[in-house]
Amino acid sequence: MHNSYTFTEYSKQSPKGIFIIYVAEIYRAIKLFWIFLFILFKDFSKFSSYGVIYIYIGVSLLLLLLFLRAYLIYINFQYKIEHQHFILKKGIFKKTLVEIPFHRIQNINFKQNIVQQVIGVFEISIETAGSKDIEIAIKALSLEKAEALKATITQGQKLVNEVVKEEDLEPIVKISFFDLLRVSLTENHLQNLFLFFAIVIGFFNQIQQIYDSFGQSEALDGYISESTSNLSASVVLVAILVILLTVIALLSSFVKVVLIHFNLSAYLKDDAFEINQGLLTKKSIVLKKQKIQNVTISTNPLKRLIGISFITFKQAVSGKVNNKKKEKLIRLVGCKKEQIEIVKKSVFHELSVEKSAKQHPDSYYKKRLFFWSVLFLLICYTVIFYFINHIEVFYSLFVTIPVTILLLLKKVKKRCYQISEEMLIVGKGLLETHVTYLDIFKVQHIKIKQSIFQKRSNVADLVLQTASGKIQIPCIAYQEAIKIYNHTLYKVETSNAPWM
Amino acid sequence: MSEHFKNEPVANLPDIATTPFQKIDRNYFKVISINFFLITLFICIGIFLLQQFVFSESILQYNIYEFLGVIVFSSILYTYFFLAFPKRKYALREKDISYKSGLLFLKTTTVPFSRIQHVETDEKPISRIFKLASLSVFTAGDSSDDLLIKGIKKQEALKIKEFISSKINA
Repeated sequence: MHNSYTFTEYSKQSPKGIFIIYVAEIYRAIKLFWIFLFILFKDFSKFSSYGVIYIYIGVSLLLLLLFLRAYLIYINFQYKIEHQHFILKKGIFKKTLVEIPFHRIQNINFKQNIVQQVIGVFEISIETAGSKDIEIAIKALSLEKAEALKATITQGQKLVNEVVKEEDLEPIVKISFFDLLRVSLTENHLQNLFLFFAIVIGFFNQIQQIYDSFGQSEALDGYISESTSNLSASVVLVAILVILLTVIALLSSFVKVVLIHFNLSAYLKDDAFEINQGLLTKKSIVLKKQKIQNVTISTNPLKRLIGISFITFKQAVSGKVNNKKKEKLIRLVGCKKEQIEIVKKSVFHELSVEKSAKQHPDSYYKKRLFFWSVLFLLICYTVIFYFINHIEVFYSLFVTIPVTILLLLKKVKKRCYQISEEMLIVGKGLLETHVTYLDIFKVQHIKIKQSIFQKRSNVADLVLQTASGKIQIPCIAYQEAIKIYNHTLYKVETSNAPWM
Repeated sequence: MSEHFKNEPVANLPDIATTPFQKIDRNYFKVISINFFLITLFICIGIFLLQQFVFSESILQYNIYEFLGVIVFSSILYTYFFLAFPKRKYALREKDISYKSGLLFLKTTTVPFSRIQHVETDEKPISRIFKLASLSVFTAGDSSDDLLIKGIKKQEALKIKEFISSKINA
């Protein structure tokens, strides 16, 4: 296919890479010194003209140094392919030589952030099995070279048949901009609102810290207390606030969905999914079916209304819990029923489990939920009453109690599981509904928990640990739990199939 | 790697509920006791120092109650440890290792050998006096609460480790 490149000699990245590295270095420097810059801009007018000149000289010197550094990084970053190994040497002062045998390479992903899109180069990252340290990113390669490299490695892995002509493939899921709009309208807005506020509060905290260090906190505090007293006085303001929050929630959902899932298309191949998405950072992910630990299909009342759900694939997380955990979650949004069927059929061999009877947890589960909720409400109201000291506070109970009961009943109703020889389905959710599909043999270890209160009702909790997190089945009959426990161990210990 | 893994099928797997479990070494309770005693002692010394140098007059009149509180609390905790100790049991089967513990909250965990990433034994200073060791087993994924058996004889722990290692690499 792309045999114009052989990669037997050491080669550098595309010369445009210098610019990419330069921008990345500047970005890193700004991230490190942004507080410093903030102070500089704030008091810019206070500097004398001499001072300003020094600042200009300093900044341009820094930019020059960063360029030099970017150039040196570029010059020293070289890779080649030899004897079925990918070899990379890099580093200006500390020289590093990395060798990866082909059979250890799991995925080769393409990525494009906004700068890379403008210049027209691709970042490729090479993902290896197991160890988290050896993950290689080549920041700038032309499309042909990137594809040639990928083809060379995949051919080397003797997966030639996988490299089918891409043009023939029909995407199983393709989301247009209009579809994406519908997806974003039906997102979990509450969650996105919280996310938005978490970011805003985090930002304000940082600003506040800077102000504090200058002894100017009084001004800001005064402003805040003033606006809060206004807030409690005026009903109109509250109404405006509610509308504003709704708008913010909708907007933040929209921005989040569009940023991540823009132009989403998913292709189904022999042993993998290929998923392309993203607006500012375009990502192309190859997801090997074998690596998928479990699949969750989620929906909420709004989404159900227009007949869409989203699918979350969970891959194995290697090593201890690290920040990369999020990247191992891959979501396909806005899937229709037929598309879900296709995905399910292609990941799992057989789905007879769907026909087996739905089992619900023991009534003990309901009791336990209600017990903890009542306790939680009691503590909340005690604390609130302690601070506000108005009996009117308890009027809100007329809303809180029915809502809590309704939500808990929903939660209890959604808890269920289905089990067959090979597979397990676990359903859960509060407002959203999540249904997780799991191949039993992919379980890592299993745990059964029983408190003395549960023992009296003869129920137990079951926890199945997979390579991508826990799956819980709470409060089922003890005999049933033991049966599933034994069956799971039997399946794990007799299977020869690789779990990853 | 895992593609070449062979695991001969077992015909009938024994039931976890009827599997005989083995208690951990009785000497380990001495280790728990010593640790417990040391920690309580440190807390008491801490309170004593606070009373001498930090606390104001108004708090000082409750001196005795502070010690009393610590002693009552720790003796309740100690009783719980004492009662819960015989519940710590482990079982080694042909294809997996299990551990159960807990008096008020019973927990049973089983890890199949075929999913174990690595095994570790380690000896804490006080355990070493009694020639005891602990055995931890790690699987893939979130390894925070895999299997940990504390207080087995050192030779026994090493033997189990060897056994599991041979099974993993087989």
